[in-house]
Amino acid sequence: MKEPEPIVFIIDDDRMVREGLQSLVKSVGLRVEAFASAPEFLAAKRPDAPACLVLDVRMPGLSGLELQQKLGVENIQIPIIFITGHGDIPMSVRAMKEGAHEFLTKPIRGQDLLDAVQKAIASDRRQRKERAELNEIRARFDSLTPREKEVLELVVRGLLNKQIADELGMSELTVKTHRAHVMEKTKAESLAHLVRMAERLRTTPRK
Amino acid sequence: MRPVRDLYREMQAAHTAPSSLGPLSRYALAITLTSIALWLSLVLQAPFDNPFWFLFALAVIASTWYGGRGPGWAAVSISSVAALYFFIPPYHAWSLSRRDIPFFVTFVGCQAIANWLISWRRETEESLKRARDELEVRVGERTVELKNANEALLNQIEEQRRTEEALQVARAELARVARITTIGELTASIAHEVNQPLAAVVANADACVAWLSHQNPNLAEARAAAERTTQGATRASEVIVRIRSLINKATPEKARIQINEIIGETVALAEGQASRNGVSLVMELASDLPPVLGDGIQLQQVILNLLMNGIEAMTSVTDRPRRLVIQSRTAAPGEVGVSVQDSGIGVSPESMPRLFEPFFTTRSQGMGMGLPISRSIVEAHGGKLWAESTPGQGSTFQFTLPSADGMAA
Repeated sequence: MKEPEPIVFIIDDDRMVREGLQSLVKSVGLRVEAFASAPEFLAAKRPDAPACLVLDVRMPGLSGLELQQKLGVENIQIPIIFITGHGDIPMSVRAMKEGAHEFLTKPIRGQDLLDAVQKAIASDRRQRKERAELNEIRARFDSLTPREKEVLELVVRGLLNKQIADELGMSELTVKTHRAHVMEKTKAESLAHLVRMAERLRTTPRK
Repeated sequence: MRPVRDLYREMQAAHTAPSSLGPLSRYALAITLTSIALWLSLVLQAPFDNPFWFLFALAVIASTWYGGRGPGWAAVSISSVAALYFFIPPYHAWSLSRRDIPFFVTFVGCQAIANWLISWRRETEESLKRARDELEVRVGERTVELKNANEALLNQIEEQRRTEEALQVARAELARVARITTIGELTASIAHEVNQPLAAVVANADACVAWLSHQNPNLAEARAAAERTTQGATRASEVIVRIRSLINKATPEKARIQINEIIGETVALAEGQASRNGVSLVMELASDLPPVLGDGIQLQQVILNLLMNGIEAMTSVTDRPRRLVIQSRTAAPGEVGVSVQDSGIGVSPESMPRLFEPFFTTRSQGMGMGLPISRSIVEAHGGKLWAESTPGQGSTFQFTLPSADGMAA
């Protein structure tokens, strides 16, 4: 599976700053899309690719911090690099708490921004991979029948086939059949692998 | 106030004489005196072989004088009875011969008159004394009241003086805060307005360099970035032009003002700060200066700023008097000059050329905006502001303003 080309989004209401940053990012060969406001960004179609967002804190209308919150609420996961003309500590603390990737003060040194962008894209790439794996596992587990799910539940809890049979009121042979199906459908290589996958699903909330 | 009044009351009580003895003791006194008179009379009657009753008169007089009217009467009665029994024949009997009636009546009558006269005299004297004492008490009370009123008045005056002092400190503080707030807001605004185009300049210049550093430089992109760099720089300089014209234009109300009045008001504002720092403010103002045309508040700001700087420059001086001399004079025909001279640490020759640059300061807490703003105010008034300094001896800041009539001419 070939990975799609990464993309950098820039939102700044100041045209000259926006175009400068856009040109700078473009010069290192990255795909860039720039917006003058947060609503424009929300309305645009975003390709499914590793990305990061370079976001001005102070903008008329929807501010950068408000956009960050909105993205959080809508579960749109994208690393954010904040840029600001007057970075005060409480503001940056708030942004970082909300999960901002980086906080840069204007005027920004070109290399600082490019480094931050590369790091943010790498981070997004890792997270996308993680999410894709998780979705894959979830799809496999979702394909199990209700009976198989019951058997899975008890297997993961560490019960023996005989105990599972007693618990569910079926023969040990039936349990064995269900169990084989579970292993096959979830593509589990071993019991340990199965348990690990089940655990990972349980600790990550469904999207 | 209260205890003094009570004291007077006590004094008054002590002076009302017969009552200084209790009624019982007064009667006892009368009885004792009469008994002594009787005994002496009886003793003395033997050698003289004659009725001897003059001493009764003395007993009655003494009883009335010291005991009052009642005991007097008691003495009269006792002596009459004693005389009748002991000294009028027949002796040691209650009978009275016809021959002796006038004598006895005269005796009793004389005693009664003596008693009456003496008690009358005594009572008059006492009431007079009471009146005098009452008067003294009254005078005393009034004196105390007056003294208290006077004290209250003095307290009030002192209170008012303190309030005025506090008010002056508050006013000076307000002026200082207003100055700093204005400068602070101005600074924040300048910082933001200039920072935005600077961010554009840096971003575009970086982009330009990046495009040019490629193996096959992208000249079109580099040119576009360079053009945006120029635009950003132009915008930054436009912001500065706008701020400068804002400061210059901020002289809306120009009126004919006497600079000496402005100096007086400003010195009053700075006095608190000066005295707190042990600085003596000296005004040497030339009389009959021509009026100048200007904004009083802005000129006050300039002078206040120079005074505060002068006071600040002397805080570390200990080897000479901390004197801040503010002078006004006719600098040239049609020109009014004001100078503020301190005996402070002075300005080093290296700092001198930068003194009026924005954000240049030698103080840890200074904003570095006082002198540049002062200079732009003076220049907006058509005048000049400059400084002279000898390090280690002090500095003199002075400005000139054209006189109102000189400008009109």
